[in-house]
Amino acid sequence: MNKNFRYIGKRIERDDSLDKARGKALYLDDIEKNNMLHGKIYMSNKPHAFVSINKESALKVEGVTHVFTYEDVPKNLYCSHQWFPGADVVEDENILQKKARFVGDRIALILGESKEAVNKGIKALEVSYDELEPVIGIDEAKKDRSIINGDTNLAFSKILSCGDADSAFNECDYIIEDEGSTPKVHHSAIENHGCLSEMDEFNNIVVYAPCQVVFQVRHIIAKALDYPYSKIRVKKITIGGSFGGKGMPILETVCAFASLKTGRPVKITMNRSETIMGSRSRNSTRIKIKTGFNKDGKIIARKIDAEVDGGGHFTNAAAVTMAMGKKAFRLYKIKNQVFNGKSYYTNTVPGGACRGYGSPQIHAISEINIDNCAKKINMDPVKFRLINAVDPGDKDPIGAPELGNARIKDCLIQGAEAFNWVERKKHIKRKNTSRYSYGIGVAAGTHGNGYKGAFPDFTNVNISILPNNRIWIKIGIHDLGCGTVLTMQQIAAEVFKISTKNIDVPQGDTFISPYDSAGTQASRVTFVCGGAVKKASEVIVNKMLENYTKLFGCSLEDIIYEDGYIWTKNNDKISYGDLADLVESKLESNLEVSVKYNSPGNPAVYAASFVEVKVDNYSGLVEVEDILAVHDLGQAINKTLVEGQIEGGAQMSIGMALSEEIEYRKDGTVKTDNFSKYHIINSPSMPQVKSLLIEDGEPGGPFGAKSVGEITAVTPGPAVINAINDALSCNICDHPATPERIIKAVLNK
Amino acid sequence: MEIKATINGDEIVKNINPNKRLVDFLRDDMNLKSVKEGCSEGECGACTVLLDKKAVTSCTLFAGQIDGCEITTVEGLEKTGELELIMKSFSKNGAIQCGFCTPGMIMSAKALFYKNSNPSKDEIIKAIEGNLCRCTGYNKIVKSIEEVRDGIEHE
Ligand code: FES
Ligand code: FES
Repeated sequence: MNKNFRYIGKRIERDDSLDKARGKALYLDDIEKNNMLHGKIYMSNKPHAFVSINKESALKVEGVTHVFTYEDVPKNLYCSHQWFPGADVVEDENILQKKARFVGDRIALILGESKEAVNKGIKALEVSYDELEPVIGIDEAKKDRSIINGDTNLAFSKILSCGDADSAFNECDYIIEDEGSTPKVHHSAIENHGCLSEMDEFNNIVVYAPCQVVFQVRHIIAKALDYPYSKIRVKKITIGGSFGGKGMPILETVCAFASLKTGRPVKITMNRSETIMGSRSRNSTRIKIKTGFNKDGKIIARKIDAEVDGGGHFTNAAAVTMAMGKKAFRLYKIKNQVFNGKSYYTNTVPGGACRGYGSPQIHAISEINIDNCAKKINMDPVKFRLINAVDPGDKDPIGAPELGNARIKDCLIQGAEAFNWVERKKHIKRKNTSRYSYGIGVAAGTHGNGYKGAFPDFTNVNISILPNNRIWIKIGIHDLGCGTVLTMQQIAAEVFKISTKNIDVPQGDTFISPYDSAGTQASRVTFVCGGAVKKASEVIVNKMLENYTKLFGCSLEDIIYEDGYIWTKNNDKISYGDLADLVESKLESNLEVSVKYNSPGNPAVYAASFVEVKVDNYSGLVEVEDILAVHDLGQAINKTLVEGQIEGGAQMSIGMALSEEIEYRKDGTVKTDNFSKYHIINSPSMPQVKSLLIEDGEPGGPFGAKSVGEITAVTPGPAVINAINDALSCNICDHPATPERIIKAVLNK
Repeated sequence: MEIKATINGDEIVKNINPNKRLVDFLRDDMNLKSVKEGCSEGECGACTVLLDKKAVTSCTLFAGQIDGCEITTVEGLEKTGELELIMKSFSKNGAIQCGFCTPGMIMSAKALFYKNSNPSKDEIIKAIEGNLCRCTGYNKIVKSIEEVRDGIEHE
């Protein structure tokens, strides 16, 4: 692969960061509109109850203008997870609920002339609950004593399999079984949820949403309000982090409804507690894994039983379960494997996308189990993984798209070397003192590149070269903070041979962006949208060259183009923009193309993390002393952005392993309703992350690139847990490994 | 109540509701939108501003408490030219992703430098322990602040 890139891989600075530092970037709550109403959702205090509301006292509060409840809103059911009309889901959400299904469910909207008035209105609202027995946790759900939706709490179940695991277990030398749990994780984007909408002069509903999929927001609003798709304009605005949390519309339907009803701009915001309780979370899981293998370390059979807590609405109950299952078949070569996934309704916050989408959960337990298998035969855990890891070009055993240039072995081999794994493993115990135990751990993981093989995965791009030498790329992307815009700019810059500074890529806006089938989710943006930008850039550059030959009577081979200028030996340099001028005046045309791009595949990405921990035997606190994260990402488009993903992903993954959990009390209320109780990793607890990139090129990806943002949150956590288990010679499988759990493990030693 | 305070270098005399939270006063009354709100209880640091050159969380203070004091936000640093080096360092090093934590981070770093012009890496890490960032894993933020300490200038 030609690696003489001008822009690809380079540490180019993003366009938006200075304005963010200066406080000039406008996030949702920074936008004010003339005549705007402020809104707040009254969220249910009860986990499972029919609600009746008396609006009177709230309406009496000075400045409160409207109170809306279930009685006032259209009754069209929808599923906030459904990003296109064809996605198979259960539609069980209302704009405002009659029956609350979790503490935090939307039951009323209060509007007023000021925030203060609305807050008073919320306090004054009289709500009475006709309570049903709450279903908290998977075990309770399985009893089916109290039913949340339909006739059973089982929301979804699916078996995926290859070979014949049951009989293959009989041929194995050893079988190792583990069972563990993973927590509900709060995305913890530092910006809380919010939405603003207004009616424009053509009676279009305009929605300003910090979101991930403008076309999904449009679809859900159209459905909920029965309003024409073509009259709903959703604009993605600057977002203060998402991580999947702002993927599903939470406030958009009710906000759009309020603008339609009142004719006024409406802004609804949530505070931290409301966002924790009333938005979405990473699904918690309970996973049982049984692995059969031989003396030589070869895995022969595996059985995985995964139970998923889907929360109060259906949302992603099917999608996340399937996502977990599919990943189990794409990391190791296992001829006989069965995955049995079930997800349940519970009266807790509904599940949603959360960085890694099921991969962090399944690998959390499976990578502990892999370590235990290696331990059983006294084999080094890196070696055990290498014996079983997939190879480039392998097929997916259950018929999903091929794995592509799967470089997990490189991750493990090069990572072990860079980490000095073998030596450290030998000597780590020498560091132990009576107070501290040291351990090292490794974990591997995989994730995807979009929806190909499961759902429509295509996008449309429109590119023009404008007279002032600017390239304008219209594509439905959403920068969630990762640098997606810059990624697209660098890909286009490489093709155009023009500085990224000359390239504008406006973000998702359903009135500007051509249709995109799946949005900024599923790790598809670099691979699919980036591929589309590369393709369309090539098409328009060809068009530019052809037009040049017509205008200047030369042949294609004579043309030189570079740094935004085009010329031949005999003709002076003109800018691309000047050429666009000439094309218009002389050829009655313009330099513009529209290209539809279908994803060419869905290869896997891989990662491995190597970690050293220091465990305080007295307090149960864990320090991550060292971490090396290795990523097989094909090709970095921008190294700084990639490292930023790896470091941030590690922060989330270590948090899930050690401290993060949305905890529910038996009565369905949330214990961890703010950052004083919900602990994300802060600066002193965060290790310096070393990253190593395997850049061997993915044939279908733009300049060989594939995804990285989500896979970064998969392997650090399991490596930390394996290191703790190494340090304490224990087998912690329940997450997070809190000090209490650690102390229990120390005492059980 | 009437308060007198210096906000970003300008003296103001204003009649305010002393029980208004400082974050609301700065954002809504003074239009200083760099001051972000992430948790409303002093835990995330997004609302960090300087009160007499010390970092405070403006969501846990009342506007009445700034009477006679000096308040600085990034808008103020920009006016005096003090933002330049630090914002460029953050930008160059990739310390800004979604950017929601950034103004608060910068104010905490600034407060540190007022106290100690040559802080160690550990002191830098400690100075931002109350500023949560979900995007960056802090590594690049710490590096940016170290480069400011070392006077490294970026284009
Ligand atoms: S909003 Fe003030 S500390 Fe979080
Ligand atoms: S950059 Fe997003 S929270 Fe720090």
